[in-house]
This record gives sequence, structure tokens and C-alpha cells, in this order.
Amino acid sequence: MKKILALVLAVAMLLSVAAAGAETVTTLPRNKTLYHGGWQYGSIAAWNPLHSNSNNSMAISANPRGSRTLVWETAYMYNALDGKLYGLLAEDGYEWNEDMTQLTFGVKAAAKWNDGTAVTADDVVATWEAWKKLDGYNGTYAGYAPYIANIEAADGKVVISLVTNDEGKPVNPLLVYDYLSGTYILQKAWLDSMFEKHGGDAKAVAEDTCSEKDVPYSGPYTFYFDNDQLTVLVRDDNYWGQDESMWGKLPVAKYQAHTIYSGNDASLVAFKEGQIDVNQQFVSNIQDLWEKDGLAISTYMDEAPYGVCATMPTAWFNMEVPVLQVKEVRKAIAMAVDYDTIIANAMTNQSPSFADVPRSVMNPTDGEQALLDHDAIQPYQWDATDDLDTRIEKAKALLDEAGIVDTDGDGYREYNGEKVSLKSCCPNGWTDWQAAMEVVAAAGEKIGLDITTNYPEWDIYQTVFTAASQTEYDIFMWSPAGAAPSSPWARVRGLMSSEYIGLNSNWSGNFGHWSNERADEIIAAIPLAATEEEQKALYTEATILYLDEVPSFSLMYRPESFYAVNETVWTNFVSQDLNAELAAEGKPQIPPLDLIDGYGIAGQYYIELVE
Amino acid sequence: MKNILKSCLHSPRFMTGFILFIILLGIALFYPLFHPGNPLQMIGQNSFVEPGTYLSLYDANTVNLNGKTSTFIMDDAAVNRADSNISEADRQTMLAYLAAAGVDVSHLDTSHENLDSLVTLWQENYDSSKKVEGYTTSAKKRDLRTLNSRLLAALNAGEQTLLTKNGDEEVRTAVANNAYVRSNQVANVINLPLGTDNFGRDMMKELAAAIGTSLIIGLIAGTIATILGLVIGLLSGYLGGIVDDILMFVCNVFTVIPGFVLLILIYYSVGQEARGVTTCAIVIGITSWVWTARSVRSQVISLRNRDHVNLSKLSGHSLVRIIVTDILPYIASYVVMAFILQVSSGILAEAQLSLLGLGPKTTTTPTLGLMMNWAMLYNAHTQGYWWAYFPVIAVIALTSFSLNLMNTGLDQVFNPTLRD
Repeated sequence: MKKILALVLAVAMLLSVAAAGAETVTTLPRNKTLYHGGWQYGSIAAWNPLHSNSNNSMAISANPRGSRTLVWETAYMYNALDGKLYGLLAEDGYEWNEDMTQLTFGVKAAAKWNDGTAVTADDVVATWEAWKKLDGYNGTYAGYAPYIANIEAADGKVVISLVTNDEGKPVNPLLVYDYLSGTYILQKAWLDSMFEKHGGDAKAVAEDTCSEKDVPYSGPYTFYFDNDQLTVLVRDDNYWGQDESMWGKLPVAKYQAHTIYSGNDASLVAFKEGQIDVNQQFVSNIQDLWEKDGLAISTYMDEAPYGVCATMPTAWFNMEVPVLQVKEVRKAIAMAVDYDTIIANAMTNQSPSFADVPRSVMNPTDGEQALLDHDAIQPYQWDATDDLDTRIEKAKALLDEAGIVDTDGDGYREYNGEKVSLKSCCPNGWTDWQAAMEVVAAAGEKIGLDITTNYPEWDIYQTVFTAASQTEYDIFMWSPAGAAPSSPWARVRGLMSSEYIGLNSNWSGNFGHWSNERADEIIAAIPLAATEEEQKALYTEATILYLDEVPSFSLMYRPESFYAVNETVWTNFVSQDLNAELAAEGKPQIPPLDLIDGYGIAGQYYIELVE
Repeated sequence: MKNILKSCLHSPRFMTGFILFIILLGIALFYPLFHPGNPLQMIGQNSFVEPGTYLSLYDANTVNLNGKTSTFIMDDAAVNRADSNISEADRQTMLAYLAAAGVDVSHLDTSHENLDSLVTLWQENYDSSKKVEGYTTSAKKRDLRTLNSRLLAALNAGEQTLLTKNGDEEVRTAVANNAYVRSNQVANVINLPLGTDNFGRDMMKELAAAIGTSLIIGLIAGTIATILGLVIGLLSGYLGGIVDDILMFVCNVFTVIPGFVLLILIYYSVGQEARGVTTCAIVIGITSWVWTARSVRSQVISLRNRDHVNLSKLSGHSLVRIIVTDILPYIASYVVMAFILQVSSGILAEAQLSLLGLGPKTTTTPTLGLMMNWAMLYNAHTQGYWWAYFPVIAVIALTSFSLNLMNTGLDQVFNPTLRD
């Protein structure tokens, strides 16, 4: 009896193992697969590009700074290195009418959907109409409607008409570029069928998860496999982009795969082992990976900061907290922070210092820095000339002058008779940010303000700091816009515009709800500035206002996406070397956006096998 | 009493544990005395600096400018210098590259005698723009470039001069390659026996302070847990009846809920602002008294019907007096041992909580768990920064080891069946 039981159990075990095995994909050929890391956590929720929470990082991520175009494609690709838009589904170049109220572009003749039908101007129009219908369930239309009046097809071309102000000038032509590089173009026939299927119910369309084979795509890759451990895209060898008018060939890797790891440390181990080729993950002291461990790992640049920094993680002051409405308090805290320690220790020097690139509303790229009158803003850059000790003394003096002093002798200053106690917050597990918040808290200690750190979980944090009103977090972190076609204007707007005050789930900017009339005027004026000189003057004024009022302050510079590659299997990745070669051939340089975002996808066509 | 102390001193286990504990306590008490300053001060502008002694280069140069150096003629100085500039691994890389580039290097090896000819060959043949098989990846090219620039620096380092400014006048002072400075001639020397952590804090200072904090947490948590357990156990065991039923019900409820889960839940709901060291200790204390209460109760039940207790009852002594004078002394040895274990588990509980990111606030006090938490967040374990986590683990292990040794040592002393 016992033997029979044991046999039955053994068979059951074997069967269950076999069943589990049946679900895993047959091993991918390593020399045909490019493994990514640092994007996908948890399993995929949807294959519908209209879905607002698809958690499908390899396929769906549309963003002006660089959309992921492996499966679905945008009209243009943004290249952060030269600030230009390169045609993808659209023909290179676009035309403005004289008063910049209409933009016209053509769709590439070669562009095809995977079902063989051509991508047409009608698809572009239908996509805009779909966003319109989905308003309320997807934020795309709401974001662009104040600027884009209409998109229509004329003579096979796409004509975008802009919203104009009373003087007949466009409200903001820059946002059109964001739309063109930051939203996918979808097939009209499919969009029609979706609305038909759901009887015109927009909510049902937006929440339809769609099967992975359902949605027509124009990109070079399509679904191959996914479960809670792995997601794989496979190359579509009929991809239209092998036409000479686009890439002229197919992307090199047959598969794009992303293993889902439990966390950063597991992912890092896999990267070191060569199981990840392109890794989007912050690795402290990344140079140790080659200097000490001797691994075949490289970054965009050989030397610190190792990547292209395009954004500034920023500490925002909550203006709903009475003591933070006092400008001197905000300024004193910002002055007393030891930024060198943040950059050296939190970022392990993977950021230029504020001595290298003095603070402003601009990111460290040359293009943006050229838009400032540096001499004019220098007096307002509190850490440009003074060392930390001087700054702390000045900060203390500032507080004393403002009447915020320690009256009861406990070492902490009081405001209106109450000890100033502030909480500095960022999401738990975001290590470089947590470390930065620790340094900010330490600065408070030095000037007699009690600042303590608090690291809520991400799902709580994201609802609090984006709320229309909150008093839970006094100082908290988020990044303003990085490099996008509408930057640096978009960043200035995100840092200072009062249009975001009172908005619920506000992901766009001014999270501290600061308001200033002059700032709003400048933000409205910049896109319409006639000359570069005028623009420069406005940016300079905005910077001075920002540095003087300190509604928020940048803590460090940071790459848009972290980028490091392991050259065990593949090589010739995007790097300064490769870009130097491309520049010599007169080709555009490729931004180090992990070979999948914006013009960064061009890197897919250059990789080679090591063997 | 004297006898007990004497037998304690004769118990090797107790004494080993006790000495270990005293050493740790000593570090916590005395290290900060000799190395004063805020243990959380971020002194380093690099994260994870390796353990060692760091001399100020500026001050060492000043010693040279003052002409106070000593001269030593060392035979192996040149060899050492070459080795530190171009390591054995570098030489192997150079040989491999030259071979791959089609240069005949069969007559060369990595020895010091061959270094000159190796360097010459390298200078003649290394070309960063040349494509050499096996050296085409960015990583390899970068490694060769950095090796080459290191080599150039070493070659150009033939003579060194210090250029200083005296007003407008520029003064040049030669740096002789056989000049030495004594380490205490240098005005600023930083000793980092355990390097620095991710924030650039002195690990040893932090560790000493953290041992103190963790011991305090352990002591408070242990005291609370022991007192709670003792009171509940004594009352429940001695009074019996409905009181016993109620108290044991509470006890059972606490037993079936895993203590650590309860600890996490309470601590999480307290909120981060309230998470000071004392709160941490109190929360640990009030979630870990159950087993003490149970054991005390069972011992009291066996004691309460003893003759001397009955005699006290007949004499009309009060409840408190009976418990304190007639029962407590019999279980005192057990309580002491339970207390030691509670201290140890309190320290471990703090470490576990902090490791999960639920520890006390970081900016004010260092604790062992928080040090582990930051080391883990910054991947110290996968990146090989052993000094950022290993000493902490060792201290946690040694503390609970020493307390457990003391406990079993005491057991030997108190428990007649275990006596030798």
C-alpha cells in the first residue's frame, strides 16, 4: 500500500513539475537576444496602448523625452543630444505656416502596419480623435487640448492646427513637438473596431486589456512570451523600417527580453553575471564594476559622471505649511545643504557638481546652458562662490533677521512660538533620493531647524505629493521635466507655474503649490518670444526669480535613464566612442537611452556580437 | 550570594560570555571618549572608502616644504614604485594586448627586469584607434586607455616639484624620491579602522555608537518584557481561577499571533515620526513578554502549594508580601536568565526591524539595524564593500552570542542537574 502511495505521489510530483515547465518558454538563443534590465517589475497588465496603467514597460511607454518604439511607433523620435526631432512614421522635417499656427507633415510612404496595410494620415487623425473620446479615462487629450485645436488630413498629409490667443498667435507651439514624439500612432481600423466592440463606451475601451495578438503595430518587434518572470518581444522580419527611407535594415537582435527580478540587488547580480546586456539601474560606484571586479561593463562615458545628465531631482517646499511660506526659511534650508556630499555619496559622483554646472532652471546640457546670461544669475546662485561653512553662517543670519530664533534654548528655532519641525520625504527604497533627504535633514540640524526624514511606501507617496492639497510632507522630492522637445520651457513651467495649483493627481509640476504672478507671465511669454535674445532674457529672469524665491531647489543632476552595458555577448553599444564615429560619418549622434527610447532606438541597428 | 558569584566566576561559559559582553560594552563606552565627535557626521566625499590610515597630502607636502623630511636609501624602492604604478595584472594585460596585436613578446614576462622593454614595446605599438582582435569592446578599449594614461603618468613622474606661491613669487621645491615623512609629522591624519559607509561616515565611530544604542534598546526592551511577563506570570500562577483564565487567554492570543508580525504592524502604525529609539524599545518590549509569563506561571503554580507559602497565607500575610518574599526568590534565577535572553532578542528584533526599513529615524541615532539597512540599500553586499556590513553582522552575532553564553553559564550554576 505504502509503495503504491509513494508511486502515486512521485507521479503527481513529476506531472506538476512538467506542468510548470510547460509554461516557461524554451530557452532563448543567447546570441540572438538582447536582455534589458531595470524597467519591468511585476507582470504585464495590458497590451492595449490606450490603457493608462498597462505596466508593460517593454512595449508601452509614450513620453515626449523619448517614447519606447519597439512595438508601436510615434511620428517623430526626439534626440536629446541635438534637441532635434527625427522622422519615424513621419517623413523627416515638418513645415510651419507663416504665423506658426499650423504644422504640416507627411507620413512615410514605406510605413506599414503588421497586417500589410499602409500607415496613413488618416491613422494620425483617428488617433487624435480617439484620445479625444477617451478624455477623462486617459490624460493625453487633456494635456494637449489647450494647445492643439485640431488634427486633420489634407492631400495625404497631416495638418495640425494650434489653439490661438486673442492676438491670433499660437498659445504654445512647443507642445506640438511633445505630442508628435510623445504619443503613439494607432491604426484607424483597429480604433474603430475597439469603439464598435464596446458600443462606443470610452471607459470600456480605455480599460480593455486586449490580448497580446490583437492590436496592429508598426514597430520592429511584437509579443513573443510573457509571464511573471520574463517578458520577450520577437522581431517582425517584415518590419517596414528595413526600407531605405528609414533604417535600411532590420534591428540586429532577434529577441528583446526582460527578466523580472525581485529587486535591485538581484538585478545587479544578474547584470554583473552578464545576464542583462543593457541595464537601467542606479549602481553606486559603478566604476568599481570594472576597476575592482574587472568586468566587461561600460557606460556612455569612461569618466564620471558616466552618463548624460538631463534632469535635476528637486526638493519641493510645501507652501501650505505656514513656516515654509517665509521665504527666508526656504532659502536658509537650501543654502545649508551640503550638495557636494549628496553628489559624492548619494550619487557616488554620477552627477556634475554645482561648482561644475551652477544651479539654475537648466539641465547641464550645453544647449540649455546657452539660454542663460550666466553673469546675471551668478549673484543668486548661493553655492557658486561660498563654501558650506559660510553658507551655514549666512543661512543662520537669514533666519535671525526673519525673526525665527531659538527663544527657549532647546537648540531649535521657533516660529510663532512653536518649534519648527519639518519632515523631508521621498519614496522608500529610492536609495539615492533617501540619501539626499538625509543630507537635507542634516542641514536642518546645522541651522537650528528640526528636520526629520520620512520614507513612505511608493503607493502612498504618489497619492500624497500629487494631491490638490496636502500638509503631510513638508519637504519632498520629485524631478521636473528632463530633456524633451518642449524643454527647458516645460521645466520652467513645471517648477513655477501656478496653473497646477488645486489640480488633483497633478503629475505635471509645481507640487509645492507656489504661486507668483510674474512667473506665470514669463511662462506664457517664453514660447512666443520672437528672438533668441528675448528668450534668453526671459529664461534668465525666470532663473533669478526661482533662485531668489526658492519654491524648490535642485539637489543633484541625474541622467534621464541610467545606462550601463555588459559586453559579454553584445558590443558596439551606444557610447561616446560610437557617437564620435557617427559624427565623423556625418550621422546624428545617438542618445544613451538604453537602446529603446526616442532616437536611442537607433542603437539597436549598430550592436554586434562579441564572438 | 557569595557562593553563586563564585560559581559564576568558575563557569567558563559564563565568563567567556561576560568578557565578550564587557568588551563590546567597553567599545561602546570608551571609543567615543577617545574619538569624540558626532558619529553621524558625513566626513567623506566618497562613499565606501576602504579601511586604512589616510594622510593629508597637503600637509605632507608642507613637511617637505619645511625641509623636515628624512632620507632613506632603499634598494627596492624603485621596484615597489613600479609595481604600484603598473601592477602584475597590468603587465599581463599589456603582454596579452601586444601578442594580439601581432608583436613578438615570447621573450618577455611580467618580471621587473623586463618592465622597461615591455613599456617600450607598449609605447611603440599601442594605438587606441587600431582595431585589435579581442579588444574591440568599449570596456576593453576603456581599460587599455586608462592603463595607458596611468603608464604615461608613471613615466612622466620622473621628477616632481612642488610649485607654491609666496605672494606673487613662485617657489619651486623638489620632491626627492627618497624623502620620507613620519606619519605624525603630518598635521592631519585620518584613521578609519573600518572605512566609511555610503554617506561617508566613519564606520568605526558609527559602530561604537550603534552598539551603545542597540544595548540600550535591548536593555529597555528586555526590562519591559521581563517585568510584564513576571507580573502577569506571578499573578496568573498564584491567583489562579478566573484571573488565571483571563490572563492566559490574553497570553494565548499573543502566542498564536507571530510576535514579529505583530511587532511590524505596531511599529508601522506608530508612524515614522514617532519611531525614536525608546519607542522602538518599548514596542519590542510589549510584544515579547509572552513566553516569560508562561514559564513564570508554571513555576509559580508548582510553588504556590508549598508549605512555606501556606504558612505565610495562614499568618495573614498580604498577597504582595507572599509573592515578593515567598515566591519571587525561588524563581529569581530563572528571571535573571530570561532577562538576559530578552535583552538579546530585543537587540535582534531592532536589527530585523531596521533591516526592513522600519527602524528608528536615521539622522539622529545610529543603530546596528540601520547600518545594515543602508549597506543593503547601497548593495554593499553585492559590490564587495565588506567593511560596511560584516563588522555590523559580527557585532550583532557576538552580542547575542555573549548574552546566550552568559545565559547557559548561569543555567549551569543555578540548575543542580546540570552542575558538574
